[in-house]
Amino acid sequence: MKKIILLMAAMILVTGSVFAAELEYFQIYKPKDGMTADEIMQIEYFVKYTKFAHDVYLEGKALFVDKSGSVLEKETLRERITLGRISDDIAYKDLVMFTSPQVKGLATLTWTYLNPKRQQDTWLWIPSLKKIRKISASNADDTFMGSDFTVEDILTRRFEDETYTLIGTQNFPGYTCEYDKKTYFKDAPCFVIECKPKRSPWYYSKRILWVDKNTGGGIYDEMYDPLGRKFKYIFKDFEIYKVNGKDYPAQVIIEGKDLRNSHRTTIVNTVIKFEIGLSEDLFAERALIQSRW
Amino acid sequence: MKKHILILIFLLFLCVSFAYAEEKFDFSGYVKSEVSLRTNGDANTTLDKFKNFVDLAGQYKIKGDELVFFAHTRYWYDAAYGLNDKLDPVQHYMGHIQRTDWLRDCYLDYTNGPWFLRLGKQQVSWGQADGVSILDRVNPSDLTEYWLPDIADIRIPLWMANINYSPKLNSNLQVLIIPDFEQSTAAPPGSPFAFRSYNLFTAFKNRWEAMGNVLNANIYYPAKKFENSKIGMQWQDRIGDWDYTLNYLYGYDYLARTYLDSTAGGGTIQNYGRRFKIDQMVGGSLNHSFTEESPLKGVTLRSDLAVYINEPTYYGNATTGSSAGVNRWNNIFWLVGMDRYFFTKWLTSFQYAQYIMEHKKTGYKNSTTGIPYVTLNTYTNGPQDKLENIFSLKISSHFMNDRLLPELLWSFTDDNQGRISPKLSYQVNDNIWLTLGYHYFYGSRLDSNGEFRDENQLYTTMKYAF
Repeated sequence: MKKIILLMAAMILVTGSVFAAELEYFQIYKPKDGMTADEIMQIEYFVKYTKFAHDVYLEGKALFVDKSGSVLEKETLRERITLGRISDDIAYKDLVMFTSPQVKGLATLTWTYLNPKRQQDTWLWIPSLKKIRKISASNADDTFMGSDFTVEDILTRRFEDETYTLIGTQNFPGYTCEYDKKTYFKDAPCFVIECKPKRSPWYYSKRILWVDKNTGGGIYDEMYDPLGRKFKYIFKDFEIYKVNGKDYPAQVIIEGKDLRNSHRTTIVNTVIKFEIGLSEDLFAERALIQSRW
Repeated sequence: MKKHILILIFLLFLCVSFAYAEEKFDFSGYVKSEVSLRTNGDANTTLDKFKNFVDLAGQYKIKGDELVFFAHTRYWYDAAYGLNDKLDPVQHYMGHIQRTDWLRDCYLDYTNGPWFLRLGKQQVSWGQADGVSILDRVNPSDLTEYWLPDIADIRIPLWMANINYSPKLNSNLQVLIIPDFEQSTAAPPGSPFAFRSYNLFTAFKNRWEAMGNVLNANIYYPAKKFENSKIGMQWQDRIGDWDYTLNYLYGYDYLARTYLDSTAGGGTIQNYGRRFKIDQMVGGSLNHSFTEESPLKGVTLRSDLAVYINEPTYYGNATTGSSAGVNRWNNIFWLVGMDRYFFTKWLTSFQYAQYIMEHKKTGYKNSTTGIPYVTLNTYTNGPQDKLENIFSLKISSHFMNDRLLPELLWSFTDDNQGRISPKLSYQVNDNIWLTLGYHYFYGSRLDSNGEFRDENQLYTTMKYAF
């Protein structure tokens, strides 16, 4: 009997450690009842960084709306190749090109590594210099491209950066998007998870994250400052795309609002394509040299 | 005739419309107005620049991304040269765009697997340095406004074949064949940023001719032959997390040097020739971001090194600013730069460079006075140090969701001369940017920045992009 208990305990430990390790790339995972907060959050990060797909192509726009209603718009084209390659530690590579007038031609190439403690490598094509510059990684708490998101909200926050507590399961009350006035995810079953940063002091003390059971995406993120006041929220609309018979969760809309100054950012992906066979050659410095603008 | 032109324009419009509808055609452009006021010197505040630009660029995808045609045109005129009487003598050259300068880019891109060809008029950028051309010498430079404009506007595009082959991931071999030739340009005497050496030569010419003598100055361009093409090569690769390039450039230097060819009439007639000389550049660049946990995490390191072989260098009398001849020396220019964010959003960029002249003891001296000659600064005809230490510090940030961008650039050398340029840019809406800035020059008139100590400028820019 003792041996059976030990064996079961060992199995649980093994199962747990398998989950605590990286999820296997190019698989579809969905959070299920009975999972721990850590397991759910691993899936949430997996979905956020599209690790289920070999590549993704996105065309979209970002709207920056200030308190007075004044709107700035940036159009982008984004490509990502997921590698999950241990030999050179590459998790995925991103190429983002700006297509709107004031910043046309500006492009960034970013390599993200598997090692969670390692910063990204970023190269920038600067049209006014017509040259590539390797740039220092922005600080995680800096704003991302002038939006209401921080760099880590969009790019760099990793599973290892926070501790997680499962608050419970609830139906999401719904979010009415300020961009298109539609209500999303009304009564969608979700896990509610409290995320606390390991870094202290930090610009937020905790996040309350609603993770959609259907897609595994973190659809609503409330952020609290060190004094416990809610200062920002981020909504994400995930939709399921059928690709080669699999259900791929895609981020269609991301909307964030800074409650301190009522500034809002909405990112809308108007074209989303998965598995289009992007070559890794496109994610090298030479791709930036080929820029024309 | 008019009817035919109208039909042609209509057909062109129709073609562009169809291409645009098929997403084969894309374009962008801007109109921009730059106004500068000189705030010091021998006069009250004067209008130095009222330059207006129209810029239009377009691409046509002939065969998807495999074959693309790109053209970029720009027209400008500077109204200050018509409004400010003091600038009248140089109105023709500085007030209007010259010759074919309106065509900034015109090339065909061909991409196929590891091959990438860019054939046509273009500019090529080498190296990692900011604001200092160490490896960035593929194209000639337009220094009519010193080094103040964006570097992409300083480079003078040339017709060339730019051939690239990528034998393996993250590597690239670039070969440049440049049969086209343009000389680097400088502002003529009488313009705000005319180099002192240029002013001195013109003053000497005027004095000489006022005495009833004759001074002939002819410029001799390299013959337009294919064998006179400039050749460039760059190998780019990574070793671990370090990016590096190896560079080589061979051909005619874009800067003409002045030689006294002959004298006649008992010395009253002097014949000068301005010639371009062949030299070589061998060098490389390196960059690396420290991404791992360490005290340097977050730092990006950049470095350029170039050896100029047979670089023509003036020598002469620095006190009078007169050149006695040209030596061909092997000089070294290297730079190391570091970038890092501080206090979340303040990007600090520091560069340190050294220009090391071979500086052989020339043994030359003035035959009359016996005073030994020294090496001269090409731009000022002042003394050129054997070792020049050059520094720059740039701090930039962003506020109001990137609408407001402050920047401060301080570049200086160990001769206590330099330039301080603060700048504030504001994005009004999706199309309009406003910029307000100041250029403050200080130091000796014999040094590169100090020579413009009376040319401090307050400037504004308004740009409408579409």
